[in-house]
Amino acid sequence: MTRVDLKGVTKRFENVVAADNVTLSVEHGELFTLLGPSGCGKTTTLRIVAGFELPDSGSVAFDGEDVTYKKPFERGCAMVFQNYALWPHMTVFENVAYGLKVRGVASNDVKRRVREVLKLVGLEGLENRYPLQLSGGQQQRVALARALVVEPRVLLMDEPLSNLDAKLRLRMREELKRLQKRLGITTIYVTHDQEEAMSISDRVGIMNRGRVLQVGTPVEVYFKPSSLFIATFIGRGSLLRGWVDRRQGERVRLVTGNGLQLEGVAVGGVEGEAVAVLRPEDFSLTPIPGANQVEGTVELVMFLGVHKQLRVNANGDRVIAYVDPEEKIREGAPIKLYIRSEDVKVYPARGWEELEFE
Amino acid sequence: MLRKPSRLSFYFDPFTVAVTVLPVALFALLLIAPLASVIYVASLYNPAYLLSDPTYFDLKPKGEFLTATAITFRGRQVTVVRVSGVSFSAVVNSLLNGLTVTVVASAIGVAVAFAFARYDFRGKHVLRILATVPLLQTPFINSFVIKKLFDWRDGILSWFICDVLGLPIRIGVTGLAGVAVAQIMTFYPIVYLNVYASMVNIDPSLEEQAENLGARGLRLFRTVTLPLSLPGLAAGAALVFIFSLEDVAAPIVFNEHRLISYQVFNRFIEATTGQLSPAAAQLAVILLALSLAVFAAIRKYVTLRQYAMLSRGGRWKPRVGKLGLRGKLAVYLALAPLLLFSAFPQLAVFTYAFAERWTGPLPEGFTLEHLGSMVSDPIVFRAILNSLTYSLLAIFLIAFLGISVPYAIARFRKLELLDLLATSPIAIPGLVVAVGYFYFFSSSFRGTILDPISSGPPALIVLAYAIRRLPFTARAVFAGLQQVHVALEEASLNLGAGRFRTLVNIVIPLIGLSLLSGIMVSFVYCMSETSTSVTLGGLGGMGEGHSAPITYVMMDYLVRVRGPYIVASLGALLITAQLLVITIVNVVFKQRYAYIGV
Ligand SMILES: Nc1ncnc2c1ncn2[C@@H]1O[C@H](COP(=O)(O)OP(=O)(O)O)[C@@H](O)[C@H]1O
Ligand SMILES: [Mg+2]
Repeated sequence: MTRVDLKGVTKRFENVVAADNVTLSVEHGELFTLLGPSGCGKTTTLRIVAGFELPDSGSVAFDGEDVTYKKPFERGCAMVFQNYALWPHMTVFENVAYGLKVRGVASNDVKRRVREVLKLVGLEGLENRYPLQLSGGQQQRVALARALVVEPRVLLMDEPLSNLDAKLRLRMREELKRLQKRLGITTIYVTHDQEEAMSISDRVGIMNRGRVLQVGTPVEVYFKPSSLFIATFIGRGSLLRGWVDRRQGERVRLVTGNGLQLEGVAVGGVEGEAVAVLRPEDFSLTPIPGANQVEGTVELVMFLGVHKQLRVNANGDRVIAYVDPEEKIREGAPIKLYIRSEDVKVYPARGWEELEFE
Repeated sequence: MLRKPSRLSFYFDPFTVAVTVLPVALFALLLIAPLASVIYVASLYNPAYLLSDPTYFDLKPKGEFLTATAITFRGRQVTVVRVSGVSFSAVVNSLLNGLTVTVVASAIGVAVAFAFARYDFRGKHVLRILATVPLLQTPFINSFVIKKLFDWRDGILSWFICDVLGLPIRIGVTGLAGVAVAQIMTFYPIVYLNVYASMVNIDPSLEEQAENLGARGLRLFRTVTLPLSLPGLAAGAALVFIFSLEDVAAPIVFNEHRLISYQVFNRFIEATTGQLSPAAAQLAVILLALSLAVFAAIRKYVTLRQYAMLSRGGRWKPRVGKLGLRGKLAVYLALAPLLLFSAFPQLAVFTYAFAERWTGPLPEGFTLEHLGSMVSDPIVFRAILNSLTYSLLAIFLIAFLGISVPYAIARFRKLELLDLLATSPIAIPGLVVAVGYFYFFSSSFRGTILDPISSGPPALIVLAYAIRRLPFTARAVFAGLQQVHVALEEASLNLGAGRFRTLVNIVIPLIGLSLLSGIMVSFVYCMSETSTSVTLGGLGGMGEGHSAPITYVMMDYLVRVRGPYIVASLGALLITAQLLVITIVNVVFKQRYAYIGV
């Protein structure tokens, strides 16, 4: 088990800063996820840890030992590539055995260990197939087995599930988590899928434009996003832009251009222009004492299984709310929604333009 | 390996040095230094020397381009039309000849490419094969056959016109005109293949757009198709010009001394008998400068990257139409006879190899004796063994450079220099390489195995073959590497395999067929290499245990009138080897790329 430390890691490509002063620590046996939109520098950061790229500045350490300038083959990492990178000219057995052979493991042990790891990932009996004769999910397992069999100090996974169909992705997600916990390998996982990151990780680092914006457990980043970007990137939320007209410590009141008044909690130095983020699941149809009240018309009702999603137009401000799926609500009907003031997060409006809207 | 890892050691590990610095060093020794020494030797003499000698430089035309004389021949009144071309002086002749050959070969090549790329017609398949036949290299003997074709006494053309059709005309093409015709017939497929590759890569919608706007037929061709095919035309025409300049076989066969290449060849022989010839060096510099200037002009089309792109073939389903009546007439009355005619030398080489006699217009008898002589004549048999040995040895160097250079170019950024060095040999005249090797290795490596004067030519021939035939392998490997995702290598490095092990276990197996194809193509073209073979090749003398390769013996036997038959057998041998390789590469390995040029 290994602890990984990145300090001030910066990498530029021509005029893009792919990793910008990235500093983070991954603990022994932890599953740490780098989460961010496509192009934010996740792969670059991972490749620096693997030794495929040299950072322009900053350092990488494994258990306190500086490995910044070590070659990839001297690091003891193992990576699961996004496209699996299975060698088409080798059988499943040969693919998985490769790392062991390189390490000079005796051939009897190679056979035993390959058999064990193939059993672990559920691929017994496929030793003699070639990668092109396998399904996507099976290829994914071979890639995983190939990385696990060498008992790496650090396991690196770059969007390992992105090429699988939705059902399989959910199953593999669970399996990955189970395996990682069982083997206790320090793992750095990269994905742009926030749901995947939330469900699988011990801790998450959220990246945008080469920078790590917030590090925390899934629960922390979900409930206490440190910036407007994270609040919109994690989970769903309605954004209401307005003006803070009253502030008392953490407590603020925001008034939108359409006159809607919301009591909320300020995150960061909020003053003047601000944005409130309202999570759909925080809305309630039954009155809550002291809570904000949002009055409007139901524009759209969608049945999503666990809940119904409503789009409500409150005098020009639009919010999305989830309600009990058995509620009988019709489009065009008037509605009153309630949301606690501690569930209304108010952020400075800076950076609003950078956000991508659904 | 450096003990403490640092930024420098991350980039400069032994492997990276081996695939970048070592090739550069080899190119410096085997290409740059010899060429530099040609320039150095040339600079020792006053350039006025060359300019003041009317053999080399003179603008006054001499001789009649064409003469017609009425004579009685074999009891008949006939008009003999002799085309021999006008001579000025070696330098001017070479330029004019090069330009003429380039222009005519381009016109034919473009027409052929257009017909094949845009139209479907019966027999297209056969004609396409015929159009590549001239690329089968049979040095000397193909020019000999062309010379015979146009001989006014016993040539097939005159026989056909005069004796078969009964017209009182006999035609003879000799001298400079003969060289030009021989080169046009040999080189036009280079233009054809390059232009064809460009044409099938044109996005069909561009032509459809023009058609919608009313452009059709020739107008469409002139305004859209041709301009979009210019990259291929530029590359093909430039290569033809360079090959025409440096070609020494046709001038030797037509006994045409008034060309730079022949003069360099001739002066080289003098130089090796003792004194350095200022003219050889200065003419070689002119040859080099002209070739490199042309190469530089088309450089953007001729890089390894470009090679790889073209070799992958068309991205689109090309637009192919049916021919109208006029088109059909053009194809069957002009194109087909022309292609058949230009494929004639290669077919005739086989006929010669099996004919008892072929002194009159038509071959007589059948014999296997000439083929047998390849083994029973000790000089010839020795030459075959020599060529095999040299080519095999050259392949080792070609394999090293042909893997390391494309690998470095494909995987590391900013290696234009290596790319340039690996592709330039197609544009550097073999004669200049030969002169350079002689000067450089006989002075800087005096007394070593590389000194051609004390040790004979074998080592130099091997090195020259390797450098000259490297581009074929480099290009194939580069194309192969394009198909290998970098992650496949990274996965190996990542699991603890070093770079060398990754190359051997992962990369080479994955590019295996490309590599093997490239090496086989390089090998057969080593076997038929001409320029350095006929110059350096003679340095060891021509006794029983001589060290000359096949092509040297072909020239020697042809020039010293031992008869063309055994030379034709050697030519047939070379053609057979090339056909075999082309078949294996294209049919068995399913690799696609043009035989020569881009
Ligand atoms: N080898 C490279 N050369 C140039 N730019 C690169 C290279 N690799 C990544 N980039 C750029 O760096 C940024 C981050 O890329 P990447 O790390 O792949 O993002 P992610 O994995 O988060 O999608 C992108 O803008 C990308 O275009
Ligand atoms: Mg990525």
